[in-house]
Amino acid sequence: MDWEKELKKMKVCDFDELPGPKSKEELEEMKMPFEEYCKKAFDVGNEFVKPDALKGIRWLSTTMYIFTPHSVTNLAELGAECIKIEMPRMGDPMRHTSPFNEAYLYPLHDTRPMSGTGLGFTNANSNEYYVTLDYHVPEAKRLYYNLVKMSDGLTECYRHGTFDRWKQGYRDLMEINPRFIYVWGGGFGYGPKIFGGSYDILGQAHAGLASVTGAHEDFGGHATKASNWCIDWYSGSQITTAILAALYYRNKTGLGTMIEFSQVQAATRCLGYTAPLYGRFGIVRQRWGNWDTQLCVHGIIMTGKSDFPDAINPQDKYEARYVVLSAFQDADFQELCNIIKKPDLFSRYKTHKDRVGAPAQIEIYKAIEDWAADKTRSEVVRIFKDAGLLAQPVMNDREVYESDHFRQRGTVRWNDDPLFGDVLIQSAYSAGLMSRTPRKHKWLWRPVGADNVKIYHELLGVPMSKIKELYDKGIM
Amino acid sequence: MTDIIWCKKEKDGKPCDTVNYLDPYCFWNWEGKVACAECGTVYYIHMIQGHMYAGPDEKPGEKPDIYPLYADKPNDGYSNYLPGIEGRTRPYHCLPRHIYLGKADMVKFSIRGRPVRGWRPQPPSAGVAGSHGYFWDIEKLSPEVWEEYQEKIKKGEVKDW
Repeated sequence: MDWEKELKKMKVCDFDELPGPKSKEELEEMKMPFEEYCKKAFDVGNEFVKPDALKGIRWLSTTMYIFTPHSVTNLAELGAECIKIEMPRMGDPMRHTSPFNEAYLYPLHDTRPMSGTGLGFTNANSNEYYVTLDYHVPEAKRLYYNLVKMSDGLTECYRHGTFDRWKQGYRDLMEINPRFIYVWGGGFGYGPKIFGGSYDILGQAHAGLASVTGAHEDFGGHATKASNWCIDWYSGSQITTAILAALYYRNKTGLGTMIEFSQVQAATRCLGYTAPLYGRFGIVRQRWGNWDTQLCVHGIIMTGKSDFPDAINPQDKYEARYVVLSAFQDADFQELCNIIKKPDLFSRYKTHKDRVGAPAQIEIYKAIEDWAADKTRSEVVRIFKDAGLLAQPVMNDREVYESDHFRQRGTVRWNDDPLFGDVLIQSAYSAGLMSRTPRKHKWLWRPVGADNVKIYHELLGVPMSKIKELYDKGIM
Repeated sequence: MTDIIWCKKEKDGKPCDTVNYLDPYCFWNWEGKVACAECGTVYYIHMIQGHMYAGPDEKPGEKPDIYPLYADKPNDGYSNYLPGIEGRTRPYHCLPRHIYLGKADMVKFSIRGRPVRGWRPQPPSAGVAGSHGYFWDIEKLSPEVWEEYQEKIKKGEVKDW
């Protein structure tokens, strides 16, 4: 065959006849606006038609409270099959903890129909399967090892060397399954404090975070912890990052990893320039409350009147009066001084360097708050926004729930939980959107041991008679 | 607690013997007159950085600026005045919601009017080894709540948000 002749006979493709843009400019014109593109790409509310990023990964969780459980639920929200192993009859102590030891969702377990799980358990344990096993008993070891053989990894939160002593730490498990990734989320980790368990507040204290949070004593403040357990949530997410890196490394080498993660160490990461500052100048960083050591004006001010004086809830009635205000550029600061009718402030503090020092900040913020003393929060925000300055009310839970921004993005949403009905959640959807493999929230949690038959019988093939026997002995 | 005022004022022939607690959130840096929760004696105090710089000095006949948040009588079985008793203690505006009483509040519907489940007590599951079925069918298992829900739908009390 004469290929050259054949080729000539073929129709030459005329690009102008093809549908679509004819020039680069036309292409630009035909693109949908970025806002529309994002709406289409992330398609909030339709996450379940898309695949799971971590489908095929099976993770075990012998964890408690928030810090280590959160590292596993991150995987579960991304599609991994996560199995939470709890102590028989009791479950994770977090089920009984918060808020104020109240329980809302029942039952906790078959044998305890009058006990329930408190809402503090939410978000740290979603999408998981719940089995029970008293794994340190010799009779339970085989089941535990079998689970390890069939899984990719485990997160545990026990004190230093406990799992090693029980012959179920990384050194034993890597012999059973060399691909196994093992996370020990200890409180202090190894080192001089090896016997210390930890809580979020301990991490905030031990790492020095609480010492730079809150207002200075000169202003009536104290070393302060964040109200919520932010170091629990934060360090749990840091573990997940390590797990994903370990999974990638295993893809390349076929080898598992041991991840040692100290909660109190994670909190040092939030401290920014603190250590280098001390290293260079010997200066111990201080608290600076709602203001900023780098910028002025750039902080939270208090206005005189609440936006909702007739509300029942005290957070609305008395506290809806804080505003985040930012006007640190010279022109912005000048505008701000004009608004609060203190042009002399600008003449004295013309440059950023003049303003950022402590005495200047004290004077400037006081002047702003004096001006705002007879105004409501929304008045202050409107006045500054109209002048082109950055101002944002400090919102409470209810306002977050009602915020159109969060609704459009699906950050806070209602879920029809298969067991517990209509629940308002923010769990998976507060952790970033993904266009191809979004996080999903499937269920809040399940009762203690709810998936014993599914995991032990259907997955591991343990006969039902054996399951019943272990259940009656209190091992399962 | 920043400090206390242990009121020993004679009242009906007996000392008042009441501890008025000065909470740091209000009194850390504070100057003014505070009343005893039990006998109403007015004391002038000046606190700086949580230390009693001046006072407590009795100010008979003057009006108090503020009441303590809480007071009790340790020598009388710790009988006490909780926050928010008019004329004795001032209200604590950060009181949590009224149903934080240490026992569960059994709501049947969420704030948007749709049924919530998981009430107490629940029957033990029919499964083995604590295994629970997955779907709580409200229509079959709680028909009275289901009916109430239908009523709410008819009345338009069920919302999207």
